[in-house]
Amino acid sequence: MSVRTHTATFAITLLAGSLLATPLMAQDKPAIDFYGVKSVSGAFASYGKYAEMGSQLAVEEMQETLDREINYTTLDTEGNAGRAIRKVQEAINQEDARLFNGATLSSTALAIGKEVDKAGGVFMTPAGADELTGSECNAATFRWSVPTYGAIRETLVPLIEKLPDAKRWYTITPEYVFGEALLQNAEKVFEEYGLEHVGNSYHSLQEQEFSGYLTNAMSTSPDVLVLLNFGAQSSNALRQARNFGLNEQMDIVMVWSAGLDQLQELGADNVEGIYFGAQYWHEVDTPMNRHLVEKVKEAYDITPNYPLAADYIMTRTMLEAVDASGASEGPELIAALEGRTYQGPTGEETIRAADHQVIKDYYLLQGKGQAEMDDADDFADIISSGHSFVEEDKSVCQL
Amino acid sequence: MDTKTGAVASKRNGATPLARPGRIRWAPGTTLAMLVVVVLLPVVLPSATLATEILIFAMAALACNLLLGYTGLLSFGQAIFFGAGAYCSALGMLHWQLGLFSALLLALGVGAVLALLVGLLCIRRKGIYFVMLTLALTQMAYFLAYTLSDWTGGDNGLLGVPRPPIALGDTTLVSLASPLAFYGLVAVLFAVIYIMARRITSSPFGSTLLAIRENEARAAALGYDIRLFKIMVFVLSGAITALAGALYAMLLNFAPLSNIELLMSEQILIMTIIGGTGSLFGSLLGAGSIVLLGDILSAIWPRWMLLLGVALIAVVIFMRGGLWGGLTSLLQRARRASSHDKEA
Amino acid sequence: MLNVYLFQVLNGLGLGMIYFLISVGLTLIFGLLNFVNFAHGAFFLLGSYLCYTLVTLTGNFWLALVAGPLVIAMLAWALERSLIQRIYHLPHTFQILVTLGIALIIQELSIMIWGPVGKSVPTPELLQGVVRFGNFAYPIYRLFLIAFSAGVAILLWLLLERTRFGALVRAGSESTEMVSLLGSNIFRLFSITFALGVGLAGLAGVLSAPLRGAHPFIGPEVLGLAFVVVVIGGMGSFSGALVAGLLVGVVQSLMTTLWPQGASLMIYAAMAVVILLRPYGLFGRA
Repeated sequence: MSVRTHTATFAITLLAGSLLATPLMAQDKPAIDFYGVKSVSGAFASYGKYAEMGSQLAVEEMQETLDREINYTTLDTEGNAGRAIRKVQEAINQEDARLFNGATLSSTALAIGKEVDKAGGVFMTPAGADELTGSECNAATFRWSVPTYGAIRETLVPLIEKLPDAKRWYTITPEYVFGEALLQNAEKVFEEYGLEHVGNSYHSLQEQEFSGYLTNAMSTSPDVLVLLNFGAQSSNALRQARNFGLNEQMDIVMVWSAGLDQLQELGADNVEGIYFGAQYWHEVDTPMNRHLVEKVKEAYDITPNYPLAADYIMTRTMLEAVDASGASEGPELIAALEGRTYQGPTGEETIRAADHQVIKDYYLLQGKGQAEMDDADDFADIISSGHSFVEEDKSVCQL
Repeated sequence: MDTKTGAVASKRNGATPLARPGRIRWAPGTTLAMLVVVVLLPVVLPSATLATEILIFAMAALACNLLLGYTGLLSFGQAIFFGAGAYCSALGMLHWQLGLFSALLLALGVGAVLALLVGLLCIRRKGIYFVMLTLALTQMAYFLAYTLSDWTGGDNGLLGVPRPPIALGDTTLVSLASPLAFYGLVAVLFAVIYIMARRITSSPFGSTLLAIRENEARAAALGYDIRLFKIMVFVLSGAITALAGALYAMLLNFAPLSNIELLMSEQILIMTIIGGTGSLFGSLLGAGSIVLLGDILSAIWPRWMLLLGVALIAVVIFMRGGLWGGLTSLLQRARRASSHDKEA
Repeated sequence: MLNVYLFQVLNGLGLGMIYFLISVGLTLIFGLLNFVNFAHGAFFLLGSYLCYTLVTLTGNFWLALVAGPLVIAMLAWALERSLIQRIYHLPHTFQILVTLGIALIIQELSIMIWGPVGKSVPTPELLQGVVRFGNFAYPIYRLFLIAFSAGVAILLWLLLERTRFGALVRAGSESTEMVSLLGSNIFRLFSITFALGVGLAGLAGVLSAPLRGAHPFIGPEVLGLAFVVVVIGGMGSFSGALVAGLLVGVVQSLMTTLWPQGASLMIYAAMAVVILLRPYGLFGRA
């Protein structure tokens, strides 16, 4: 039933411009209080800024579509896990807040999930840690982005098929819990396909100089260099790899790229010929994504990137579920979200009931040169997409 | 034995005094003011959780002040104690089912021992070399914390830290689950530490510390064992900071890696200095104003941290005594003005 | 396998020259002014961003290489005249606070101007490509960096050892009173040295931009590294910065093969050990 309701609201959204305030929708429903946890100031502002845009856009749209007042509050994490959690606790205790979306950092997301769970609310996050829908999963926490297992399989497996002669693979991994998870999944893929994992370089949390690691990689003459770091570190690793001419000797893949904003940061020259794994790409051809691209262009005059799309669809999905179930907290809302299928930017997306993981596509992109770009943001082509998830019965999550 | 060779290679950087601490006759006044603030804080502020965060950081700033304001030691090592306090108490509660007070005692002990070690190393050097040494040790502690991810949770942080009740044996006396109840505990601990610190700083021990700060050579000539005094302050400061770290972990039910980052040291230092070095009440002011500033301004202007930079410069150039110094000079001016009025 | 180590040493030497460039300004300012500049990394950051803006506007890296450091040196000059001069006489603690404040302001302003997402700067066309040694390759741009930094080192050495300005700076490091007694305007000397030191941070930022791009949060990392080099070399020592820069570069590079996770632990541990055993660094004077 939730599926049908959803398709209906979706159709209405598309027609929202022409069919304002459908009389049928006009009911006296209570306002929804919704909280966005965003790193607006501090060290993760590059993410929070767009995530905030996404949530605000979704709230504006849903206000109209659902014909219901939505009170949206931003909780700025100040780039600081402690601050973020304190503000969430405060909202829970003082304002009876129950609906949360956001959090960039895995640590912040994990801790917020626990707080919201205690309060009987719902929290949906795009953060990267596998633990969110794995060993630390709980009833309140839902996660949109694909875990490391899928990110690795949806980038490496298509690449292996595309490059049948590539037998020697080298990895560069940050010494994070997260980096370790990517590496373990990559090793399984290498083993499964009988490829030689010729070496791995770990690097520390603060490293920005990669020449030494690249030298290690060169010494093993790999066919493919796999970057398992992310953010500024992966940008620098890639820049420097190009600098060392590694892209002429081997293929390079960045498994966990941030998507458009990172490619913009790198620029077409650095991106050309490189493979990128991505949670979202604005050129995906789905109804919801066409809608999103158009709306974002209208509202902000930019092309949507991953943080914007992620927080947009999560905010939207949560609000729709609240409206459909008539519950704004607790088991009823959780039940409404579990198993929910909806049109997302990556196509049809489903929230798996077993671990609250959204089942959605992950993309393998290949960067193209300046000359082939159709517009300023056309940095890459999608060369493969699909979804891979650890099967429900093998998941470590026990809900 | 090292004090001589450790002298700063400085021509101008002798022992120029920092801001002078609040005068002794103000002492009962500030203790009373502190008690009033502590009682009013949860009433005036939108939430007890916010008030708790302020007092926890005020505690850390107060500990930092003992080093900086009363002994003249600028330490970037406070995050080591804060982080260690958080991790150790959390691990104690998670793995050994420690109760509230045993967990807090564990934090105090770990903080004291770590501070003893850090102090023993660092006080061998002075001035900029001392600062650099504390900085290096913090970086090393951070490295250790994220490498030992089986214990600390690494970059994911240590999750599910409990907030045990005040209990006698197996009987729960007071649950601390509600924000206000937990604030009560933190407030009592803060008040006790504040009064204790006040007594210490106005005791002969405190006067010796000030003498060391003002002129180390002279204090040494008078026969004081400067190393011993410095180490004692370090231990005291480390223990209090670790206690603050433990309370922070209980507040958040979580111990993030950022607790032990250099940035945490920087934050505690900034609170101490903006509040006013050499004034215990200043530390409360500093922690309060910075936490509140972040809370209010971040919603309006994402680049609000720029103001922190401006404030740091302003404090050094115009208001060496920080907020507390500014406040007292205002009060004095007002008093002088009113006595003028009476004469007229 | 031996090849890797050999090449890591070579790479480390190249890295070391960059580290020298990053830290020489810091040590120069400390040497003469006995001033601790915690904003050094922020000026580096500003250099990278200026490089980005100038290259984007004009497409000319060489222009950025000249104009970037000059603009930053002028900025430093103005800052010295208006603010820094007032705090020379204060303890290091206060200098640290003021420069920490400046660093915060520069960082936040950079985000306001250039946005929170980083920027990339292309390698100048003339210096693109690599030189190959068997399996290994080394970027021409990095070779240029080594040569350029060596040039800067020689010029600085000549400036300090062979000119009247240098003689005054060296004399000033020993005793400021003496220089004043000799009738030289000590304040002008201070301003010039401060501008020079900060300008060098800017220069390092400009030169690093094609390698690392510009990112609003690189300041603290660069500052940490510069302090490690300066402390190991001896605070205020020019030759110390050069040798320590090379040493740190080579050690870090070798560590990436031997024990990569420990690379950053190692350099801070080295700094702590040097302070404890030889507080004035390998080349500093007591």
